Amino acid sequence: MANYPIHENPTRDEWAAKIDRLTTLKDASKAIKDFRKDNTSPFRKNYDLDIDYLFIECKLEEKLADMKGQHMKDDDLLTKTADGECPEEISNAWIAKMKSAKDKFVAEKVLIEFRQTYKPPVMPVNAFLRADATLGSLLMEVRNTDYYGTTLGELRKQRGVRVVHLQDGLATA
Amino acid sequence: MALSAATTAATEALKVNRAPTGVNPQEVHRWMQSFNWDFAKNRTKYPTKYHMANDTKEQFKIIAKEYARMEAIKDERQFGTLLDGLSRLGAGNRMHPKWGETMKVASNFLEVGEYNAIAAAAMLWDSATASEQKNGYLAQVMDEIRHTHQCAFINHFYSKHYHDPAGHNDARRTRAIGPLWKGMKRVFADGFISGDAVECSVNLQLVGEACFTNPLIVAVTEWASANGDEITPSVFLSIETDELRHMANGYQTVVSIAHDPASSKYLNTDLNNAFWTQQKYFTPVLGMLFEYGSKYKVEPWVKTWNRWVYEDWGGIWIGRLGKFGVQSPPSLKDAKQDAYWAHHDLFLLAYALWPTGFFRLALPDEEEMQWFEANYPGWYDHYGKILNEWRALGCEDPSSKFIPIQWLEKNGHKVYVDRVSQVPFCPSLAKSTNTLRIHEYNNQLHSFSDDWGERMWLTEPERYECQSVFEQYAGREISEVVVEGHGVRADGKTLIGQPHVRGDKLWTVEDLRAAGCVFSDPLRN
Ligand SMILES: [Fe+2]
Ligand SMILES: [Fe+2]
Repeated sequence: MANYPIHENPTRDEWAAKIDRLTTLKDASKAIKDFRKDNTSPFRKNYDLDIDYLFIECKLEEKLADMKGQHMKDDDLLTKTADGECPEEISNAWIAKMKSAKDKFVAEKVLIEFRQTYKPPVMPVNAFLRADATLGSLLMEVRNTDYYGTTLGELRKQRGVRVVHLQDGLATA
Repeated sequence: MALSAATTAATEALKVNRAPTGVNPQEVHRWMQSFNWDFAKNRTKYPTKYHMANDTKEQFKIIAKEYARMEAIKDERQFGTLLDGLSRLGAGNRMHPKWGETMKVASNFLEVGEYNAIAAAAMLWDSATASEQKNGYLAQVMDEIRHTHQCAFINHFYSKHYHDPAGHNDARRTRAIGPLWKGMKRVFADGFISGDAVECSVNLQLVGEACFTNPLIVAVTEWASANGDEITPSVFLSIETDELRHMANGYQTVVSIAHDPASSKYLNTDLNNAFWTQQKYFTPVLGMLFEYGSKYKVEPWVKTWNRWVYEDWGGIWIGRLGKFGVQSPPSLKDAKQDAYWAHHDLFLLAYALWPTGFFRLALPDEEEMQWFEANYPGWYDHYGKILNEWRALGCEDPSSKFIPIQWLEKNGHKVYVDRVSQVPFCPSLAKSTNTLRIHEYNNQLHSFSDDWGERMWLTEPERYECQSVFEQYAGREISEVVVEGHGVRADGKTLIGQPHVRGDKLWTVEDLRAAGCVFSDPLRN
């Protein structure tokens, strides 16, 4: 990890400057989606920003929320995404995607991707939370059924981890 | 801007259902009972895999008739005692200083739990469909607000009356550096408010309240009294009088989902995970606070634990839920083993990292060491010897320039942090059941310390992404981190944490810097 202070550091400064340069709603919305895909969740592209990503994401959210306030009509704030889409249509499409997921590993990616793409302020919070609750409920139903039916060894394989170390005496299978 | 559906519904309901003009308790009660939470298209915003029934009975029949008056009297008694009687008696300075330090941790941390319990009970209000059940949860919201104030008031009182206020005031500012904070947030925050709404109820009400408030809020009053603290019992017992109704809310949650056969697929798993989550932190931390954070001992922690956790909760309380298909969690057996050694393991690490705390820790004296050995045979040869070696190396004295974490490092005892519980552990020194496993996933390394937690992470990795302090500060010199993380007193140089409770020989930032201690990440070195 980088050898510099947590709260004020060059990485945060660099991102603050990048965020400052965003001038359109479209760019701000794209920037936050890209950032989340690259830097959040266990499936992120890399962990380089592990110390700073939550701060940067928060600053991107501030920026997008601010631009929505400036450029969108009051009523649209509750009924449209930052890109002008209809939240209900999007939610329904993602719920259908979740329902057709063939197993829990596909299903969890659906929920995580939905969050990375639509977490507020991209989607209005009223619509997002309802969709997220439905997706989350469906995901938990598949992930939590027969929870102890797989041995730890098999589960490690299914998850795809590389076992680096097991203390003496621990079962590998 | 459009009003939210909930606000509109509440406004409409008030229009047709006018509030009574009198204060006749029956009339007020009837009015509240007739309130209809049944908003058109009511759909909670919280996920759950359970279906809560619509016909459960409320546990708070007395809300309108008795509740507010009862709570007002409790508050009057408690604040009256503190602000008048106990202030004049100088109670704020009569406890043993080791205990005065323990209350910096106990009350500040419990305040976080109470604060999140407000949100958790509100989330259950949102999730439940039966209006009477909603009433029960709503009244708990009010209770938890009261408790949050009460915990804050203990630290406020101590800040004004205790001889060493640093850490009683504004403990939160050190939250980024203290390794105990993250695990506390796992049990007291995430556990109560993230994931499935019913799983949260199981964490908060079925385990947190029904199981751990007994050792946490009741046993702590016995330790407090034994160590001269009259303040804590006045407040904590007042809190605990509300907890019974919260436990009943947890019971009601189970009743409300028991009608659905699908619930049985998840309930015992959620209970096992919730129990393991809560005990993984509370078993070592409470044991450590009681036994190492006091001068006068009440009874060995393992005894308290067996009485409240194993027999009272695991046997009697869970037994009562048996008719709904609830089983005693299988992880209880492993937890029982940890109740013997885990808190001793944790004290070694907490003491080794004392500069990162917002409280002082002290080594046990000769008499206490005898107590430890008598109650935990074998204690001295393992823990006592190490602690005495640290003492001999001058760990208490700033002129020694020695921080015990350096001894661990020098002797090859690596300290890891469990990704799931965030509790630190040292595999080469642990006598508890902790066992190290390290996995690489998506180019990131993760350490775990037990089967139950490892399974939780393998199943739901996105829920456990918290970095450890070693990952956060790897490569950085410790005094720099402590200054940055606000671990310094108002004089700008003396550390809040200290390795003793004496009045002199206080460590400063300069003393700490002279030790030349650098954080390193055990997963990378
Ligand atoms: Fe409470
Ligand atoms: Fe409570």
